[in-house]
Amino acid sequence: MAPIDSIGGLEAYRRKLAEAAEAKADMPTVLVCFGTGCQANGAGPVAEAFRKVIDEQGLKLDVNLGIKTTGCHGYCENGPLVAIRPQDILYLKVKPEDVPEIVEETIKGGRTVERLVYRDKATDEVVARYSEIPFYKHQHRIALRHIGSIDPTDIDDYILAGGYAGLAKALAMDPEEIVSEVERSGLRGRGGAGFPAGTKWRSCLAVESDVRYVLCNGDEGDPGAFMDRSIMEGDPHSVIEGMIIGAFALGSHQGYIYVRDEYPLAVKNLSIALEAAREKGLLGENILGSGFSFDIKISRGGGAFVCGESSALMRSVAGEVGEPRAKYIRSVEKGLYDKPTVLNNVETWANVPEIILKGADWYASMGTEGSKGTKVFSLVGKVNNTGLVEVPMGISIRELVENIGGGVLGGKKFKAVQTGGPSGGCIPERLADLPIDFDSLTEAGSMMGSGGIIVMDEETCMVDVARYFTNFLVDESCGKCTPCRDGLPRILDLLTDITEGRGGEEHVALLEELCDLLTWGALCGLGTSAANPVLSTIKYFRDEYDAHIRDKKCPAGVCKALITYSIDPEACTGCRLCAKNCPQECITGKRKEAHVIDTSKCIKCGVCKDVCTFDAVRIS
Amino acid sequence: MEKVNVTIDGRTFEAVKDKCVLEVAHENGIYIPSLCYNSEVTSSGGSCRVCLVEAHQGGRMRLVTACNYPVRKGLEVKTDTPLVRRIRRGVLELLMARVPDSEVIREMAAAEGLTEVRFREDTGENERYKCIACALCTNVCAEVVGVYAISMINRGADKKPATPYLKPSDVCIGCGACAYACPTGAITLKEKDGVRRIWGKDFPMVRCSVCGTPYIPEAQVDWIVKRTGKDRSFFDKCPDHR
Amino acid sequence: MTDVAQFDRIIERYEKTEESLLAILQDFQREFHYVPEEGIRRLSEVMEVPESKIYAMGTFYKALSLTPRGRHTIKVCTGTACHLKGAPLILETLERELKVKRNGTTEDGEFTLECVNCVGACAMAPVTLVDEVYHGQTRASKVMDIVKKQVGS
Repeated sequence: MAPIDSIGGLEAYRRKLAEAAEAKADMPTVLVCFGTGCQANGAGPVAEAFRKVIDEQGLKLDVNLGIKTTGCHGYCENGPLVAIRPQDILYLKVKPEDVPEIVEETIKGGRTVERLVYRDKATDEVVARYSEIPFYKHQHRIALRHIGSIDPTDIDDYILAGGYAGLAKALAMDPEEIVSEVERSGLRGRGGAGFPAGTKWRSCLAVESDVRYVLCNGDEGDPGAFMDRSIMEGDPHSVIEGMIIGAFALGSHQGYIYVRDEYPLAVKNLSIALEAAREKGLLGENILGSGFSFDIKISRGGGAFVCGESSALMRSVAGEVGEPRAKYIRSVEKGLYDKPTVLNNVETWANVPEIILKGADWYASMGTEGSKGTKVFSLVGKVNNTGLVEVPMGISIRELVENIGGGVLGGKKFKAVQTGGPSGGCIPERLADLPIDFDSLTEAGSMMGSGGIIVMDEETCMVDVARYFTNFLVDESCGKCTPCRDGLPRILDLLTDITEGRGGEEHVALLEELCDLLTWGALCGLGTSAANPVLSTIKYFRDEYDAHIRDKKCPAGVCKALITYSIDPEACTGCRLCAKNCPQECITGKRKEAHVIDTSKCIKCGVCKDVCTFDAVRIS
Repeated sequence: MEKVNVTIDGRTFEAVKDKCVLEVAHENGIYIPSLCYNSEVTSSGGSCRVCLVEAHQGGRMRLVTACNYPVRKGLEVKTDTPLVRRIRRGVLELLMARVPDSEVIREMAAAEGLTEVRFREDTGENERYKCIACALCTNVCAEVVGVYAISMINRGADKKPATPYLKPSDVCIGCGACAYACPTGAITLKEKDGVRRIWGKDFPMVRCSVCGTPYIPEAQVDWIVKRTGKDRSFFDKCPDHR
Repeated sequence: MTDVAQFDRIIERYEKTEESLLAILQDFQREFHYVPEEGIRRLSEVMEVPESKIYAMGTFYKALSLTPRGRHTIKVCTGTACHLKGAPLILETLERELKVKRNGTTEDGEFTLECVNCVGACAMAPVTLVDEVYHGQTRASKVMDIVKKQVGS
């Protein structure tokens, strides 16, 4: 097909696609989620099984199979997910052997297969309709607007769903007008610090230069956050469209998407999308006949968390070691190759086309005073429904965990949430009514970060969590500046001492002093925020530090040096399972009699607790 | 050149816009300690954090490294506040723990009243030497000499300057600029019997035809001749006898 | 490994600019399961970029390894969600059973055991990857079975 050479041409093409879709509107469609999670859970064989049944039975269906599959629906824990249209049914944990029944019952007979639909753990209520499942019901999807309903590798799917209409509108606008629209929308950067996107664009525009760059930060490094992955994999065109709009507004002709090395599917789907956009005349020379030219290159990261930091990312794009530089001169003035550069993250870019299309007022009508619009969160950890959720800013932590997340896993006690990855902190349950927005999280000693919400229960040790993040940062520090390079290992030493029972009263004071040094003295954002996990746990969970230091106890039963494993003779049925699996062979006992662990040989590997089906293994 | 007024520790000076705070301070007799910065090397600075000072501008204050913070109109710098001293001491304590053998660091720390380190000294995989991983040596090698024999390798606490694969470098000219620039004297340069040894490689030296002193590695002469087209005979004599 | 043609085949796929360096090094890694010294040397020659610079990249980026990796790579995700749900015990089990330390390779060159700081599959925590195949909800007691089943030993 020849490239589309005008805005009108795009609309004509969309109409043509819509007419073709209209003709098949009543045709049942099976959408198999091909997100990373569902593929790991076996979505491939499920799609195969659908194809086989359909081939055999000669059903005339438009089945989304093979390459025609969707991005991540976000409800990964219950994958593989299969959605059936037009009934709007969502089946969970579908296995290939379920497929004939789905075809027979739902597709042919229009009935629901009850055993495969969502069942509320508390009320036992059955919910078949996709949009009514609590996990989805409370969501408001903008950045995730198409994910799960379109095939990310098919640009026509995106165009049919209204894609590139934002670009078409933008091309008819004055660049200045576009920047104002983004400014008025109140969109703040979704990558971490929450800097207003419009302000960034305006400052870049104010710098005189022939060359400007537009960058997309897809180096999603915060452990526990995977919304950017989901967007790049499931709706790559939304990011590309946002970047083209940004480039047009800023007069940039070259863009880069920096993608984490750990995300091969994102690289693949983005590459397919870029190629398709070029073929359609939406990217490259003379976009939609407007005379404006812009292209995008993909830059693969090399596995370095620090490259999510803007100046490090720019050095990495240029083919250097990803070390940050002092940001006394802003990257909107001197960024990539010392040219004015706008860097926004994946989710930020994905919001841009909708803001242009529907207007700043529409976007600003959602969210809170200081944080407009919606935000995608990855709700993970010790919570019943884990996955990606998009909700208006300002929702409380409790609503998120309880209404959408369905409460804490296994009915355990909700202790805290961790937000913001290694730059964030832990917020205790007693502050769970806090509205989630950029400013209130920062005030509470944490930060939004990229939107990871990790739920922690009574079996989570907060000192261990602080140690975990510090260890992460020791591993990821680039080593350029003294406080981060040499301070973090000292913090780790102190935390290790505490978790191993060697901590003294002076340890906490010294920790606080080192944290102060990092916060003030480190070179980049990674270092200056590195103390947050430690400081926030000291602030809210001082009692746990004290228990480790004074009583040499780990109340959550996590810190190995401070715990012992034993078997509850009341609960043990003498099934021998633990004894058979124990790598140390230190569990003894006769069949049908209570077993005993020889603690002198026990290495606390957790295998016995893991295999016991009677919950008889105790940690104290 | 545009000039601006900048205030440092209550005194106001006229300075060239965008010049770094550290140089403006030193020109005016205000001492700010520093390690990783060298005014001849534009890529240096920003890493050791010893020169952190308070920068007050536009109603906000932050700690900045004086060695690369540009002076702009209305900037007020404070080099001797409780915050500055606290953070400087902290940085020096970390450096002392890292390189307990370095006299330079010990002296600088002593000037801040710091003699003891409260945490475990670095006994990890880092060899115990004097390097503070400030990258001045690699910056000099790349930017000033232009041979790129060494680079900062690894990350985090293992970061250090090295030749590729820690093997004698093919391109090193033995000029010793790295050792000369090193603020803590961490780079070993030894000369014996007309041979210089640095970065694990031996460099035969050219002897001065007048005094007989070996004064420059042959490889360095080759490099300069190749680079500048200077006549080789120029190097027959040492600078004292030219 | 002195045949430069095998490196050139990869280098040729890219533009001659420093922007291509990291991508080329990653392709070396995929092709040879590590970045060979000769590869860095050749890349330095062809791209006219100092060897020390490319070597520094090789030591900085975790996706690159300067020593040969095992035939199979097992990655234990140590992201936060995985950590809370038992990744440390999984890692210890693999270390014990395979007799290898994290980020090391077994003596027979069969397995390399790596830790990854989050693979972005947090909803399936804890996650273990065997040769890039994701296994969700892994348990310490079952992880060796998963490995054996997949690599067929």
